[in-house]
Amino acid sequence: MREFLPLLGKELRAVFQSPVAFAVIGVFVTLMGYSFTLTLFNNKYATLIHIFFQSAGLLLLIVPVITMRLFAEERKAGTLELLLTAPVRESHVVLAKYLACMAILGVMIGLTGAYALVLGLLGSPDWGAIYSGYLGLLLLASTLVAIGLVVSALTANQVIAAIATIGILFTMWMIDTLASMLPDALERVLISFSLLARFTPFATGAMYTSDFGFFLSTTLLALFLTMRALARR
Amino acid sequence: MNAAVIVADNLTKYYGPRLAVDHVSFDVRRNEVMGLLGPNGSGKSTILRILTGYLHPTSGTAQVAGHDVVSDGLAARRRVGYVPEDVPLYTNMRVREFLDFMAQVRGVAKGRMRAAVDRSIERLSLERVGSLMISKLSRGYRQRVAIAQALLGEPGLLILDEPTNGLDPRQIIEVRELIRALSAELSILVTSHILAEIERVAHRVAILLDGKLLSVQSLDGHAPTSRFLVRVPGSTDAVVRGAFAGRAGIEVAEARANDVYLIECPEGAAPVVHALVHAGLRVDSVAPAESRLEDVFLRLTEGAAR
Repeated sequence: MREFLPLLGKELRAVFQSPVAFAVIGVFVTLMGYSFTLTLFNNKYATLIHIFFQSAGLLLLIVPVITMRLFAEERKAGTLELLLTAPVRESHVVLAKYLACMAILGVMIGLTGAYALVLGLLGSPDWGAIYSGYLGLLLLASTLVAIGLVVSALTANQVIAAIATIGILFTMWMIDTLASMLPDALERVLISFSLLARFTPFATGAMYTSDFGFFLSTTLLALFLTMRALARR
Repeated sequence: MNAAVIVADNLTKYYGPRLAVDHVSFDVRRNEVMGLLGPNGSGKSTILRILTGYLHPTSGTAQVAGHDVVSDGLAARRRVGYVPEDVPLYTNMRVREFLDFMAQVRGVAKGRMRAAVDRSIERLSLERVGSLMISKLSRGYRQRVAIAQALLGEPGLLILDEPTNGLDPRQIIEVRELIRALSAELSILVTSHILAEIERVAHRVAILLDGKLLSVQSLDGHAPTSRFLVRVPGSTDAVVRGAFAGRAGIEVAEARANDVYLIECPEGAAPVVHALVHAGLRVDSVAPAESRLEDVFLRLTEGAAR
């Protein structure tokens, strides 16, 4: 644990000192603020469902921008060699990068909490649905970050890492659209891998253990694969 | 002096179908400077990466301070300070911030961290640049910062991959002197494709070609070289050759410009000078045509190429 905290500190500094972090947070909060205000004035409903779906859609684009550099940059600069030949565990290196990404996404998603406060002041929203929506966003972000990490660990090229991650995330997001064309058994399997199908219940205020388990297990699997990708060198 | 800090046994590494290291075995003893010498692409860096745990060997084993680099990698890495070839550093950090980070990562206790970093800065004369961003440093200073981080945590073994690459002559001399100074308290494994560099700092040298270990040579003894460049002013080729007539083992291999002759004599320079002086000729200078290691290296690599 003693060497984990400095690793986490280094990753947090790298993420939050990067102009990318401020650009990403700025764009996200501006777009979501615009959408929230517009919807609130037009519909007058005290709900954040549309914000959750729009945030999820933006996360599919934003997460690859954040994760692309994590290993690819270190591999290209050679600092990955410096880091992995020091007496640190690969799991700690991976976990530190994962948590730093989650921290920036947590701040980003947390800032939209202002909309919930506005709804609370102006009306009486369904707080259960709001809590589950935020939990869903964090779980989705966790899976997206972990997948982005695997791809970043496999290449030294940041652009390739970003494009490949976007491809994988969008495929997983909408894979259920393909499902209707397949036999029943396969349809169920494909739908179970759909990020959209797993996220929708959270956004609409329904929480299922199976969806929770899906996001958790895909995160753990992707983090494990990242460690394997590093060990394979 | 005899206890081995590194024991490499039949190390083999394939990159896909390409054989990069071919059954290499050697050891590095305590407080010894061991050189790995070979042309670019001969497998030197791959061997270092295996020893530092960055790569796993395809087969064979390696131990650092008694710890297997694969099965007990963490313990092995605690005993090694490593400076990779291109001197990778976190250029967005300041020198002191980077050394603090590496000290923590290398397991230096919190209470001893400041003293350890101070000592490292002092050893490498980094006092003036401690607060500068690494991105602003010259190549020479970056090399020093990289060595400074490798010394944190008192590793006992220092591994340097081509430490003089890209340095100017003054910086090369500084690195060479530093290696000599550090060898009093550490074992050092250093690679280079420049023979003269290795020869100046190493006690022993392992010669590699195409991933194979050709030989391990000790450089402690000063065995004489057999080829000399001798300047005999005002002479001719025939006169010089005539001076060696009847003297077995001495041969003029080549007459060069400015009255310089390349002369071969396995018994050293003394019989050559004696013969020339005896023949009434004046000898201006005698110098080894190539170093002993160069001699060995050329012989081994030519033999392997055949």
